[in-house]
Amino acid sequence: MAPIDRSFSRRRFLGGSAMAVTAGALGMPFVRTARAQAATFKAGVITSLSGENILGGNLTKQGYDLWADAINAKGGVEVAGDRFKVEMFYGDDQSSPATGADAAERLIVQNGVDVLFGPYTSGSTIAVQPICQKYQVPMISGSAESPNVWKAKPEFNFGIIPAVDTTSGLSLGVLAKLSKPAAKTVAVISVNEPFSKETGEGFRDGAKAAGLELATYELVPPEGDLTPVISKIAALNPDIIAVGGHEEVLINVVKTSKSLNYRPKALIMHYGITNPAFAQALGADADGTTGVVVWLPTVSYKDDVFGTAKDFAQMAQKKLGGEPDYTAAACAASGLVLGDALKRLGKKPALTPENRVALKDAIAETDIQTFYGPIKFEKDGPHYHDNIQPVPVLVQIQGGKTVAVGPKEAAAANYIYPLPAWK
Amino acid sequence: MDLFLQTLLNGLLIGGVIATFTIAFQLAFGVLHVIDFAVGGWVVLGGYLGYYITAWLGLDGFIAIPLAFVVFGALGYLIGPMLYNVRNSRTARPELMALALSFGLFTLLRGGMLTAWGFNTRNVTTTLSGESLAIGPVTVPLIRVVAAVFAAAIAGGLFLFLYRTRYGLAIRATAENRHNAALMGVNIGRLSANVYGLYAGITAMAGVLMGAIYSVNPEVGLRYTLFAFFVAVLAGLGSVEGALMAALLLGVIEAFVSTYVGSSYSLLAIFTTLFLVLLISPRGILRRGL
Repeated sequence: MAPIDRSFSRRRFLGGSAMAVTAGALGMPFVRTARAQAATFKAGVITSLSGENILGGNLTKQGYDLWADAINAKGGVEVAGDRFKVEMFYGDDQSSPATGADAAERLIVQNGVDVLFGPYTSGSTIAVQPICQKYQVPMISGSAESPNVWKAKPEFNFGIIPAVDTTSGLSLGVLAKLSKPAAKTVAVISVNEPFSKETGEGFRDGAKAAGLELATYELVPPEGDLTPVISKIAALNPDIIAVGGHEEVLINVVKTSKSLNYRPKALIMHYGITNPAFAQALGADADGTTGVVVWLPTVSYKDDVFGTAKDFAQMAQKKLGGEPDYTAAACAASGLVLGDALKRLGKKPALTPENRVALKDAIAETDIQTFYGPIKFEKDGPHYHDNIQPVPVLVQIQGGKTVAVGPKEAAAANYIYPLPAWK
Repeated sequence: MDLFLQTLLNGLLIGGVIATFTIAFQLAFGVLHVIDFAVGGWVVLGGYLGYYITAWLGLDGFIAIPLAFVVFGALGYLIGPMLYNVRNSRTARPELMALALSFGLFTLLRGGMLTAWGFNTRNVTTTLSGESLAIGPVTVPLIRVVAAVFAAAIAGGLFLFLYRTRYGLAIRATAENRHNAALMGVNIGRLSANVYGLYAGITAMAGVLMGAIYSVNPEVGLRYTLFAFFVAVLAGLGSVEGALMAALLLGVIEAFVSTYVGSSYSLLAIFTTLFLVLLISPRGILRRGL
């Protein structure tokens, strides 16, 4: 009896499974139709969700998602009296520009997105631009900082963060004003790789504008040892050392100058010092390092969706478990630009190809105030379609914490200058 | 003159630092006849061990040095036979297969570290981190002196081991002619595993020092592989004694070019030197390579 029972029960099981699968397959189209009836705006996020830039990639994704969550909680984007929710689609560039371009094409062709939110890296952004042009889909970039992104005058791409050459250049002027006695000379160390080199060139050109004498401009290979460069600079003894490089190089600059017992009066770096790993790695030696940011949770801006910068920081803290940096903020602000442009455009989803071109024109006319600061895109020049409105804020690590020190209206603490000798 | 002396010292110390992770690399090549791409991976693993010893246990980074030898030496001992078997397999071009295997190992280590420990750059702190000694006009970074002394000790120790012990004789015999050594009763498989373990252990020890001198993240391994390869070619592949001299030469070239010509030319100068050495003396500066 037993074997018969077992075969019977197996047959019943198989039969039941087949029915369940059939029912599921039949049911799917109805579910899809039901979803399709509630029209949504489709936005594609293209960023590094794997590979070496996974941390930054997730940071941008979280920033864009914060906006989608906030706007959907309000019922969606307001268009001609109705509200339409935003549906997010994600494409992974695997930290490689070429893969980024493929992923963007998939999002446009297969998912039919109305608009793209741009990658974490400038390299991927540049690779995706021709795809946007080909399919006439606008892309808002909340992270790209290289001036090369804007030099080619991308018609469909818009940037929220000012290009690094403007911010690093201006920051030296702010530093020179804060220094007492006034700083006179600066040495620039720049790592010979795209982003870092542009930062270094920004510092070099900004030195002239700030009335500082350039003691030396050192372009170092990423693989190189820094002792010869620091020894050379120590012999020139400039007031300021400005570094264009990623956090690993920044850490090595501090370690090498300490090991040679040399400390300039000010050490300024662009990106990386706001990453908690920088202060963690260096401990007390990180103190006194100056950095440049375009946004901090303490700035006094606000808008209707996120409220004040502090409100945004609290919301981000709750969802991400850490304080948001300016990249996360700029990505969230990218959504505000889209919401504003869609409202002015007044077209309901899904957007036709003509409407997507009109959306691009509407984005180009953006002139809004947000928790991140003012947003308005350049209409000409080397920073075409980049938002160069935000004024760089100088931050300094003091007692292991990053505090705003200048310009005066943004300062939360006094600037420590000159730096004390190494202990 | 002050800058000249400082530059000379910087160069010699850079050379000492590079030598730490290239001497054992040469030994492994001499015996296994494999250019081990994974050398940078072992360096980075040592660096991370140093970081976790200091960050989690609050101990001095130097304590991680012997520990790195034990942990990664054992790991190398387990991996060594695999490399040996591929290198001595009957497939076509076994030397290329072994090179591909070591490249795969390197990729695995790099990806594994990225997944396990993330992309943040870490630092190893020791009692001598950031400490320096002023001798006249010259500043001597003490942690680099430790690295140079370590390199000299490893080179000296290996020299004594290879030329004064019976096992060293077996290693040299194997490096010279594997088949004859096997006929004389040397267990080549086990010897290869031991040598690869010794190499992985020494290289990971150097990694702790690299973490203390520079910093460590999963991506920096490639640069150590590159420099190990530069030194190996300059010294003559497989020449342990040449490695120390070649590393010092590279360090001095890098320091002087960076200081007096421009840092962006330092790699160019190194490549030019390599090119000339390969052209004039393909078996390395001491003409003792394979």
